[in-house]
Amino acid sequence: MTTALVAHGLAKRYGARIAVAEASFEVAAGEIVGLLGPNGAGKTTTISMIAGVVTADAGHVEIAGHDLARAPGAARAALGLVPQELALYEELSARQNLRYFGRLYGLRGADLDARCAWALEAAGLADRAREPVQRFSGGMKRRLNLVIGLLHRPTVVILDEPTVGVDPQSRAHLLATVAALRDDGMAVVYTSHYMEEVAALCGRIAIMDEGTIVARGTVDELVAAHASGAVEIELSDATAAAACAAALRELAEVTVDGAGLRVRPRGALAPVVAAVEATVAATPGATLRALSTHGGDLEAVFLALTGHRLRDGAA
Amino acid sequence: MIGAALGKELALLARDRGTVISLFALPIVFIVVFGSMFKFGPDGDARRPVAVWAAPGDPRGAAVVTALDDAPGFRAVPAADAAAVRAQVAAEDAVAGLIVPPDFAPGAHPVELAIDLGQPLAVRAPLQGALTALVGRALLGAPPGAELAVVEARTPPGLSRPLDDITSFQVTVPGNAVLFGFFIALSVAMAFAEERRSGAWRRSLAAPVRRRTLLLAKLVPFFVIGLGQLGFLFGLGALAFGMRVAGSPLALVALSVLVVACAVALGLAFASLGGSEKQLGGVGSVVLLVMGLLGGCMLPRLVMPPLMQQLGLAVPHGWALDGYYAVLVRQGTGIVEIAPQLGGLAAFTTLFALFGAWRFRFER
Repeated sequence: MTTALVAHGLAKRYGARIAVAEASFEVAAGEIVGLLGPNGAGKTTTISMIAGVVTADAGHVEIAGHDLARAPGAARAALGLVPQELALYEELSARQNLRYFGRLYGLRGADLDARCAWALEAAGLADRAREPVQRFSGGMKRRLNLVIGLLHRPTVVILDEPTVGVDPQSRAHLLATVAALRDDGMAVVYTSHYMEEVAALCGRIAIMDEGTIVARGTVDELVAAHASGAVEIELSDATAAAACAAALRELAEVTVDGAGLRVRPRGALAPVVAAVEATVAATPGATLRALSTHGGDLEAVFLALTGHRLRDGAA
Repeated sequence: MIGAALGKELALLARDRGTVISLFALPIVFIVVFGSMFKFGPDGDARRPVAVWAAPGDPRGAAVVTALDDAPGFRAVPAADAAAVRAQVAAEDAVAGLIVPPDFAPGAHPVELAIDLGQPLAVRAPLQGALTALVGRALLGAPPGAELAVVEARTPPGLSRPLDDITSFQVTVPGNAVLFGFFIALSVAMAFAEERRSGAWRRSLAAPVRRRTLLLAKLVPFFVIGLGQLGFLFGLGALAFGMRVAGSPLALVALSVLVVACAVALGLAFASLGGSEKQLGGVGSVVLLVMGLLGGCMLPRLVMPPLMQQLGLAVPHGWALDGYYAVLVRQGTGIVEIAPQLGGLAAFTTLFALFGAWRFRFER
């Protein structure tokens, strides 16, 4: 797949406070990458640097092959930003908002008309196009907020918590739209506090904390590495099970039941799996018949990596 | 880009009744109210009442009454007795009173001038001087040779002749046009604050538009709206209130362009200080009102004490109004004659713009 977005070594400091220490990731065309983190972790600053809204102290950004520092016009033209705030003029109509932001992105004439018509249709607002936005529900505003960022057909789109405060219908509509964008080959950076949304949509996930990306991977990889609740292992015989149990005592709480083991890792799952595989390999006649994880999910990963301390900052 | 921004700001303005009222309707109310308060020239009955009493049958009383009625600007109001004269002055039914004692004798028993000595000297002195001279001439007669001109009033070179019969609106229209014209500064600052709060500014920053173009696109629409506002107020002043332009219309346009540019630059300076819409609305309004007061928008600087007259030039409003008075009142005033005022406004514009550009933070 073609790499649509490269963010490498991004850093930003406000006075003595480090908002982002180091953030690097790539997004391919047709891929959704989730960016997770508690409040103040540096997500918004990171996506602001990618969008060119905030000037990075270090690092570089490449959007659709255009270096943001060297060719800012081309790079920005290839990017769509959907801010967390409802970045709309409430007194203007949906159409007027679309036309204004469309012209900011260089759309004119028939092309602008066509794109506005598409956006209104995509947002389900075609019949409310002339109404002032202030009369819209929260969900309608969110949908308009989203399509404004897509109006100029960007190669990369950044969605900063696009489903905050919307009803289930609008949420489903927004998520379906995002999935369709991916299917159309758009590269998407998606931030949200709704873990199930991220788990369902994002092919890969990066988790940020205190200005740094602390983990990345698919949901399964992250769960396996950081938050497996319990692991069920079935071996070929009781001898192999006892050997494995002995090898795992330092890594997990282990209960032996004949040829079966129930393991609760004290930390990450990966070392547990590695130890099982090594023990099986070293035990003559032993085979691993089954290994399954239970209870681990993205939220558990998130909490395992970022802790339970309340975060009220914003960065 | 700037065309799109202009269209957007005009559409926003059309839906913002509060701003439309404060920029276009409120000035009209102020023009009418202040125009009615400061009547002079041919407005209504400009002859000011002077209460007069003399002993019944005293020919000196009749002479004073005749002299007052013959003089431009005064009319005699005969009173029943001396106490009635004083009471009329105290009640402000008369601007002054003249009591001719039955035993009138210059030096020993002079005519009593009843006048509020607490009035500002600038108001009292012309009245006191005129009435003293008028009574002296009525009671003592003209000195030998008085039929020949002793003093002749002439406008010195450098000052063009003023219009005859100017109305109070010649003063209140530009005064309020400048006062409310500078309120565009508040609209500019609040528009920035609102866009920052809503996230629209952030979205705009992500667009493929240079930041200085983005800034210009935010300022130019308010410049156009400000020009429209001044055009509307001066047009209405001419059509509805009989305001005339004694000097060059081009000079009027040049002044107005600089006034609006200065107001927009001040708006950028306000915006560069940050703050919420509420903070800007509260503090900005007070600052603009104080600037307007100092500059003579509500009370002409001409009637202020000398120190306040000088202080008025510490704000652009003072320079603007000096220019407008010259163009509106003095015949033949062109751009050259108001060059100092244009220069003053240009200096303020540059100062505000430089400060705003220096302090403005795109990424606040």
